[in-house]
Amino acid sequence: MRDFVVVGLSHRTAPVEVRERLAVAPERLGHELLQLASSGRFDEALLISTCNRVELYATSADPVAAAHSAREAFAGRLSNPVPDDVLYQERGVDAIRHVFRVASSLDSLVVGEPQILGQVKEAFDAAKGAGTVGTLLGRCFTQAFATAKRVRHETGIAEGTVSVSSIACELAKKIFGNLEGRRTLLLGAGEMGESAARSLRQTGTQLHVVNRSEERAQRLAEVCGGRAVPYERLSLELADADVVIASTASEKFILTPELMKGVVRTRRHRPLFIIDIAVPRDVDPRVGNMDNVFVYDVDDLQQVAEENLSVRAREAARAEQIVEEEVEAFLSWRRSLDLAPTIVALRERFGQIATEELERALPRLASASASDRAVLEAMGRSLVNKLLHQPMTQLKAGAGEPDGSLLIDAVRRLFALSEEESAAKGVSTGEPKDASVTQLAAAAATGSTGESK
Amino acid sequence: MKAGLFIATALLYAIACVLYLFVLTRGSNRAQRVPGTVFVAALGAHLAFLLLEAPATGEFPLADIAQVLSVSSFGIGIAFLLASYRFDVTILGAFVAPLSLMLFLASGLGSSYAPVPPRVQSVMLTLHIGANVVGLIAFALAFVAGVAYLVQEGLLRRRRLSGVFQRLPSLDVLDTMGLRAVLVGFPLLTFGMITGTFWLLRAGGSEFYVSQALGLVAWAIFAGVIVLRVAAGWQGRKAALGTMMGFLFTLLVLAGYALRAAGGQA
Repeated sequence: MRDFVVVGLSHRTAPVEVRERLAVAPERLGHELLQLASSGRFDEALLISTCNRVELYATSADPVAAAHSAREAFAGRLSNPVPDDVLYQERGVDAIRHVFRVASSLDSLVVGEPQILGQVKEAFDAAKGAGTVGTLLGRCFTQAFATAKRVRHETGIAEGTVSVSSIACELAKKIFGNLEGRRTLLLGAGEMGESAARSLRQTGTQLHVVNRSEERAQRLAEVCGGRAVPYERLSLELADADVVIASTASEKFILTPELMKGVVRTRRHRPLFIIDIAVPRDVDPRVGNMDNVFVYDVDDLQQVAEENLSVRAREAARAEQIVEEEVEAFLSWRRSLDLAPTIVALRERFGQIATEELERALPRLASASASDRAVLEAMGRSLVNKLLHQPMTQLKAGAGEPDGSLLIDAVRRLFALSEEESAAKGVSTGEPKDASVTQLAAAAATGSTGESK
Repeated sequence: MKAGLFIATALLYAIACVLYLFVLTRGSNRAQRVPGTVFVAALGAHLAFLLLEAPATGEFPLADIAQVLSVSSFGIGIAFLLASYRFDVTILGAFVAPLSLMLFLASGLGSSYAPVPPRVQSVMLTLHIGANVVGLIAFALAFVAGVAYLVQEGLLRRRRLSGVFQRLPSLDVLDTMGLRAVLVGFPLLTFGMITGTFWLLRAGGSEFYVSQALGLVAWAIFAGVIVLRVAAGWQGRKAALGTMMGFLFTLLVLAGYALRAAGGQA
């Protein structure tokens, strides 16, 4: 019986020095997959590689061995030995839940970040291109994408910005409305200041850079697409700017109330938004009390980020529920691929047709005696049995093959046997099930497939 | 019929208030259009009420203070709808709807106010009242923008950036809206005051001096706000406060008339 396996590492288990050693460039994904698949342990395989995770998803008739060989393949690439717990692995329903959570950005470093879904889709396309995706992984990932979409639509998991520079941008928009044509003054050359300036630049503001070292200012201005301005012009620049990002290494306040009083007068009360990212601070807190001057320091921005994160955490709980629903739906489809319920459903479908036709024909045979009826009924049954004999034999033989589920899926589709029906039948008829067939369902019931080593 | 329509209108305004406030504080992307729809329904009911109330031909329109209040309340709603086409300010309904409701209820209270006696009615009076009603509507929008500005700035300074802050418009939009509304209202107020003075002189009376004094204060405040905004570049909180004060004084003028009319009858 084929089952799902995932082996990998992520920001939860491994530092970046380890992750980067396993990372695979997008264009090499297909090649790597084929190499892995050639080890012969996997029926299907799919490799996800982002800066925060490298994971191999696979299905195999022998999931334990498959997990083992995936571990070995990864360990082989991590040339010097790393602790065992860097690599995690999940099987069966846990592996399915894992991919649903990853695609929905519930397992991301920043929960709710939107990039991961695209990255998973790319990985899926690469695997399809390499021909290592079959029915099971195909359906599993398609449903993972649907889950991610539901999570995005039905929860607020992606609401509210959580990075300092995008929060600075949002705030500036709430003060100035349209940022197009406004001017940002970057004061100092701190790294965070640079990233905030870049974000603002993208919204269409002009950028001026002032720094004690003019050389530094020149370089920064070039990198961020702005203009370097000599430090002596600071107060003039302050009078012209709308947003000021202060990130100098100065020990003392640079924007003092005395300096700003003159600036405010020159700028005729136009609002000024000052983001003080420097530690120690560049802006005297008293400046924040002036009319139409709004000062946010790094702690304020951090606090906003944390509030937004806590909103996301609340929404994540709802997202987990959606994931559970979708996992359940997937399992239901998976169960329908079991052989026994399919055979039962197929027999019933044919038997039903025979009965219906018989009931339609009998009233027209007015002269038919009871024994005539019995003959007709027997004929109907044997017709069904004869018609189904060959397909049943082939189905039973084919189900044991690696791609058996494909065959079962095809039969279900050809005869329009619905999933819920057969799942219910499988339980209610109490068919003796092959132990291996019910492995996945059993795993779902116990909720644990962790390997004990 | 009339009483029923009055109650229905007031109820619709009240429901719109509650819904707007709910969307402002709780916020829900799906429910955003609901309060607006209810508000439009309230305006529809109000219009029907106004038509029912409309004086027969030959009678003087807007002659009593109750009508002035009712028409102003209706006009504020319409002006707000127009403004929300120009600016993205639909959420300001949370401030507009209560104002409309208050003026509408006040007009109901004043149904016993005495109309202007026919002997002093003239075209000059129509111009005076008409200009002042439209001016009042403009100032009401400026007032709403000012209130929203103060709320928004307070939230920004206290770093309360989720919820209401996210849903209200930006400071820039609110400030611009406040300025434009005052610029529209001020000439109308000026015109209204001049025609009013002419009318008063012609009618030979000088008895409305309390309301006139209040009107003069309101005019001076708005003049000051405009001068400071244009000449000294005033923006933001102080300008919003000035605008709000000016509007409150114009309301006092109306209250003065209402009291006067009620007293005159007693």
